Amino acid sequence: MAEISKESLEHLAKLARLDIPEEEERKLLGDLENILGHFSELQKIDTSAVEPVAGGTSLRNSFREDDERTATDQGKGVDSFPNSRKGFLRVPPVFKAK
Amino acid sequence: MNLSGLNIKDIGKGLRNGDFSSREITRSYLDRIGEKDGDIGAYLRTMPETAMAQAEEVDRLIAAHKEIGPLAGVPLAIKDNMLIAGEKATAASRILENYVAAYDAGVIKKLKGGGAVFLGKTNLDEFAMGSSTENSALKLTRNPRDLTRVPGGSSGGSAAAVAADLAAGALGSDTFSSVRLPASYCGVVGLKCTYGSVSRAGLIAMASSMDQIGPLAKTVEDAAVLFQAIAGRDEMDATSTDADYGDLLDADPSRMVIGMPEEYFIEGVDPEVRAAIESVRDVFSEAGAKILRVSLPHTKYAVPCYYLSMPAEVSANLARFDGIRFPGVFAPGELPKELFDIYSETRGRGFGPEVKRRIILGTFVLSSGYYDAYYKKAQQVRRLISDDFAEAFRKADVLLTPIAPTPAFRIGEKVNDPLAMYLSDIFVGPVNLAGLPGISVPVAGREEKLPIGFQLIGKHFREADILGLGRFYEKTTAP
Repeated sequence: MAEISKESLEHLAKLARLDIPEEEERKLLGDLENILGHFSELQKIDTSAVEPVAGGTSLRNSFREDDERTATDQGKGVDSFPNSRKGFLRVPPVFKAK
Repeated sequence: MNLSGLNIKDIGKGLRNGDFSSREITRSYLDRIGEKDGDIGAYLRTMPETAMAQAEEVDRLIAAHKEIGPLAGVPLAIKDNMLIAGEKATAASRILENYVAAYDAGVIKKLKGGGAVFLGKTNLDEFAMGSSTENSALKLTRNPRDLTRVPGGSSGGSAAAVAADLAAGALGSDTFSSVRLPASYCGVVGLKCTYGSVSRAGLIAMASSMDQIGPLAKTVEDAAVLFQAIAGRDEMDATSTDADYGDLLDADPSRMVIGMPEEYFIEGVDPEVRAAIESVRDVFSEAGAKILRVSLPHTKYAVPCYYLSMPAEVSANLARFDGIRFPGVFAPGELPKELFDIYSETRGRGFGPEVKRRIILGTFVLSSGYYDAYYKKAQQVRRLISDDFAEAFRKADVLLTPIAPTPAFRIGEKVNDPLAMYLSDIFVGPVNLAGLPGISVPVAGREEKLPIGFQLIGKHFREADILGLGRFYEKTTAP
């Protein structure tokens, strides 16, 4: 059973874009260790011939009519965005300035 | 006349008879919330103006002798992870504290169409992650039956509102226990509907393959009315579907086989809970139901299976909360310079500890090298758990089980031990892994004691079996 080290926790936090302050790390590591320890139960079951579940539904080809409609009104969609100007969404710069 | 004590059915009758108006009843609920909710904390916010306007509209229809539906003019509470256009929807998280919804959730559209009145939005565990509502980043909710105890979670606000007569009924959402557990702890009825029976569009997603919206109500009959109003295909949710439910309240116990899974009556179940469930069994067996022992051998794997599957979905679903698409936690001008830091610090400040635990765990189980050992394994075990139910349902029409091993626990008792908290869900969670319907109904005769709920689990889309038997129990045991 894998354990999560301080280094791998920091790596996971980076992948998840989640800032975890130093003082929360220790508690989080302890919790994860407990939780993963509980999961070792699962390794005892032979699942070699079991087809994994994919999602919660058994529906197939769940389509709707392909006709024109207004989903979210553009005005309201823009309004609910934190920063906009003249109907355009404003986001922070993606590329670093030279 | 205490208008706030009425159930949905009686409100409908009263409105049609002209005993009171929807405005009067809505006002009486809002007043009662003002008086009582300071102690309980069921609501994150009320919507008095919208509610009164909705009520006025229904009163106009009644005055014009128009036909009105069973929920017209009925004041309801909505869990704050469902969107109502123009109202805040916070999921009880700092990261969405200032988010205002741009559209109505599928269930809200349906309820509005039926003339329901929305009193306000109720508290929950942050992003519906928890079993006690203590993970709310915004408020503490107390159990109206004992203010030192938790209301259960994650739909704790909705359950407390119904239990304290602060709403005639409510909507919650249930991913592993979140409608049924609080219903049981607070002494109200809670229905987790079949996966796909109710639209999830506009429900802030936690684990999409298990999330399902369901009603909380004072009676089984009311829960059936709410279920009927929200069920059905919504083209905004491709997993939702129509089904023929038949008469929802017409089950005949003498023609039914009730299975009792032996794995649900294990050590660790409070003797009082066990005795309560046995008393329910006796009511059904005296009415002619055949009681059968069944086995769900993979029950003990449900909690570990869930805590591998769900975080994977959480880490994906919550990736959208990045400080850019929704109002963040930074004041204007305070935003970090680097894009990575905007994401990371917004999420670091905006999410509470349980949400962070689940995101990290989900990122871990999906990461290369661990995917097969954890995520795939969990999905295989999920299949075995579903197969257990399918096998049991060959012999039984419904299953009777406890909701939780104990009645409501004390505030703070499990807050520092996530694993102990997770285990409160051991008897209700398997239902979500298999996509089945389950209902929590209060065991009768406990008015002076902490409430205990019993669970009836039905076959897919057989809500009628569990609602019908629940209704039978309620009628038979009514004082």
